[in-house]
Amino acid sequence: MILNYIKIAFRTLLKNKGYSFLNIFGLAIGMTCASFIFLWVEDEVSFNSDFAKQDQVYYVPTHQEYDGEWRTFNSTPGPLAEAMKTEIPGVIRAARTKHRDFLFAVDDNAINSSGRYVDEDFINIFSLSFIEGNAKTAFKSPEAIVITKETAEQLFGKNVKALGKVIKVNNTDNYLITGIIENLPKNVTFPFNWIAPFQRYSNGHDWMTEYGSFFADTFLELSPEADFAAVDAQVRNLIEKKTDDSNSKAFLHSIKDWHLRDNFENGKQVDGRITYVLLFSFIALIILLIACINFMNLSTARSEKRANEVGVRKAMGSGRSRLIIQFISEALVLAFIATLVSILVLFVLLPQFNLLVEKNLLLGLAKPSHIIFLLSVTLFCGIFAGLYPAFYLSAFKPVEVLKGLKATHGSATFIRKGLVVGQFTISIVFIICTILVYQQIQHVKNRDLGFDKDQLISLKVNGTMIEKFSVIKQDLISTGAVTSIGLNNSGVLDGGNNGSGLEWMGGTNTEDVLISFRYISSDFLETAGIELAEGHGFSENRAKDSTSVLITESFAKLMGEGSAIGKKVIRWEDTYTVIGVVKDYLYEDMYGQSDPVLFFNYHGEASFMYLKTNPEITTNALLSKVEAVLKKHNPAYPFEYTFVDDTFNAKFKSEQLIGELSQLFALLAILISCLGLFGLAAYTAEQRSKEIGIRKVLGASVSGLVKLLSKDFLRLVGISILIAIPVAWYGMDNWLQDYAYRIEIDWWIFVVAGVVAILIALLTVSFQAIKAALANPVDSLKTE
Amino acid sequence: MENILLTTEEAFRTVSSGRKTVTLLDNINLTVKEGEFISLMGPSGSGKSTLLNCIGMLDDFTKGSYTFLDEPVHSLKERNRSKLYKEYIGFVFQAYHLIDELTVYENIETPLLYKSVKSSQRKAMVADILDRFNIVGKKDLFPSQLSGGQQQLVGIARALIGEPKLILADEPTGNLNSKQSEEIMKLFSELNREGVTIIQATHSESNAAYGSRIINLLDGKIVS
Repeated sequence: MILNYIKIAFRTLLKNKGYSFLNIFGLAIGMTCASFIFLWVEDEVSFNSDFAKQDQVYYVPTHQEYDGEWRTFNSTPGPLAEAMKTEIPGVIRAARTKHRDFLFAVDDNAINSSGRYVDEDFINIFSLSFIEGNAKTAFKSPEAIVITKETAEQLFGKNVKALGKVIKVNNTDNYLITGIIENLPKNVTFPFNWIAPFQRYSNGHDWMTEYGSFFADTFLELSPEADFAAVDAQVRNLIEKKTDDSNSKAFLHSIKDWHLRDNFENGKQVDGRITYVLLFSFIALIILLIACINFMNLSTARSEKRANEVGVRKAMGSGRSRLIIQFISEALVLAFIATLVSILVLFVLLPQFNLLVEKNLLLGLAKPSHIIFLLSVTLFCGIFAGLYPAFYLSAFKPVEVLKGLKATHGSATFIRKGLVVGQFTISIVFIICTILVYQQIQHVKNRDLGFDKDQLISLKVNGTMIEKFSVIKQDLISTGAVTSIGLNNSGVLDGGNNGSGLEWMGGTNTEDVLISFRYISSDFLETAGIELAEGHGFSENRAKDSTSVLITESFAKLMGEGSAIGKKVIRWEDTYTVIGVVKDYLYEDMYGQSDPVLFFNYHGEASFMYLKTNPEITTNALLSKVEAVLKKHNPAYPFEYTFVDDTFNAKFKSEQLIGELSQLFALLAILISCLGLFGLAAYTAEQRSKEIGIRKVLGASVSGLVKLLSKDFLRLVGISILIAIPVAWYGMDNWLQDYAYRIEIDWWIFVVAGVVAILIALLTVSFQAIKAALANPVDSLKTE
Repeated sequence: MENILLTTEEAFRTVSSGRKTVTLLDNINLTVKEGEFISLMGPSGSGKSTLLNCIGMLDDFTKGSYTFLDEPVHSLKERNRSKLYKEYIGFVFQAYHLIDELTVYENIETPLLYKSVKSSQRKAMVADILDRFNIVGKKDLFPSQLSGGQQQLVGIARALIGEPKLILADEPTGNLNSKQSEEIMKLFSELNREGVTIIQATHSESNAAYGSRIINLLDGKIVS
């Protein structure tokens, strides 16, 4: 019997090629889209999930209170790890870590490599597996370093024993390779290429043993029986217990939540990327629904063609359930073909999708989870899409349909219209979202940053760049490629170094305010294009300015009325005098307000060198000139640079992704909806061909007929617009609330979306309408 | 052959259209014995098709009683009723109503599928009837590849495959030319001789003449 159904299904498909194409194509698009989202979501939720003890391992960030508001930072005091391990039952291992970028050199081969100084427990917490050396002895030597297999291969080549070799780090220190570990799994939120004993980093830095210095990333492992809530409560109290500082609370954050749930607002975990994961999963479902709606619509629309068959089958003795099974099997066959098409499309488009989402996703057709997903989608589409038509069609009474009565069920027409409205509502919501996300991104990108990111190159400071700063500066300027050079201890767009506990004239409760510190060379402000509002900048002679500071306007405001010039700021018992006020500039959070900044004239510990370049010189010429100068004065290090506007653009990655995906979804939703509309219009035109013939004979014009046929559909699109506008407005208004700096939603966006939807629908429908209106009435009338 | 196949007593079929109630069948008292070949005659709208449908259980009398092979059809549940007609009744339609997507062979086979007949037995039965109707050569063709007469032949084969006691034929030759009509009617006579009870609705006097009894209908009433 089932074979019989499948056979009929195939014949029906072949007989109605156009209809089958619309259905299969629509479903395949929906499935492809859902599959891409599945792959993306699967990747997003897999972060840190490859560690054996993922359920017991926690990361320890801190909430810190400034000015009545709790803010969340990754850093913890140095002694915290040891204290948690010894004092809190249930904590079996704990490790301080500190991220560092190294230059590794072996003979002539030099590579940049980032990794971590870690406490020995780290090896055990993450069950790092040693290919050479072993976990127990790896950290015995104070000069030890353990590198990943990949790093070993980069340094020494494949199949060369690296254990026991010495590498030169940053051209100064020697490290002894005491272990080679397996490469890390793909998705790790804290990737590292090497680990080295933490003591080597902390030696001689007494401040690292104090509870007041937050600098280390701490990880810990709980015993399997430990009660999370109890341990977490004790961790939260630990800093206060040690220091009486009630404004800092360390807490446990599961490494599994790190990637997706890392947003904290006033000390409470709010959301994070999980919002997008859920949103996209929801969208995948919606797109599948739209595709299924097509199937339902087209099946019921052409029900008259099937009605006769239903009548005959019932007269032959078929019960209703058998017919339902038959129609659902047909839908399943169709869904199955759509799945095959979709797999083909996935295969072709996956590289493009990977480019878009900046991941390296694999189709993995052999993976059980992927097979289950595809099967479920096929079953879902087949059964969901087939169910309504199956019940609808199988309810026909043989007497009625065999007599040739038209099966015009009011309910079916109503539901059909409802489905079209549903599809178009979704499409219009997507159009509106696309426009708004794009607007918001542009809005923020065009925001006045307070500095000039264009023609600005950032170099990481390493080797002898600070010692030789003046010569480098001279040589660079003399190439004519660079107009100005400045040093800074932090990236111009980064959050960087900050702290509280300062005092200044004219302010109250100044200790509570979080201030960012920047140590710059005198030329930095000019290089970055940060403008002076008042006073003057630093002089090149550092000695003259050792107790002078510059502040931003928001800082000046904290100093109360009048000019801030000449006012004093006290930090760590040193008193500084404000000599200039610069305009506020934006860093870290491009959507919010940046904290006040205090600039010092000191570049001895700078991390970044900024070059303002001459716009008249081509990028290639420019880079080769800069490289030549740096190679000359800092030969040990490879020349690496970034353009600040690239860094700036990268800050919008997730918004950009939302924007691009939203655009993609909008296009697909519209495409699928139009396929359905196209099919419906075709059937309506066919159904009304006699009416059109008669009207034409009676003298109706072609344009009048097109209007007649399009009117009904346009009314449906009109209803969709009315539903979509409040839905989109509500959703997008919510989304925008996440951004302090945001656009207002303009009414014209809704108009544009509505007009676009109407135009697209008109284009789809009018093709059929014109075809029907132009048909010779003789043909349509003689058939009766 | 004196067994009674079916009887209707004071059977009515009414439909309400708007506020009015229209009586399609008016007090039908009919007894059909096994082996009869009855022709229902009457003008369009006199109730021939409705009566056939009600007898065939595709439609229901709204009042009165209907007994088929001692089963009180009017009080049977849908499921049992469908079992009854699946078992004993075959339909032949004016417009043939073959399923376009199925071949001749599959069309004929369909009722057996619904009766859950085993595959091997199905094959034998279909082969038999194809042979008997001389359409073996056409078994893999689709309905659209056949002439009207051939399609009706397939329609009758399909009605017969379940070995029904009663064949209900609604204007079986209405769409055929006279030569084709004659062949079909001859076939009906032959079947009737073999013991199948036939009730046909027809306009044609000559077709009616093949039957053993003529029932005339007018405005839903049996007039003779």
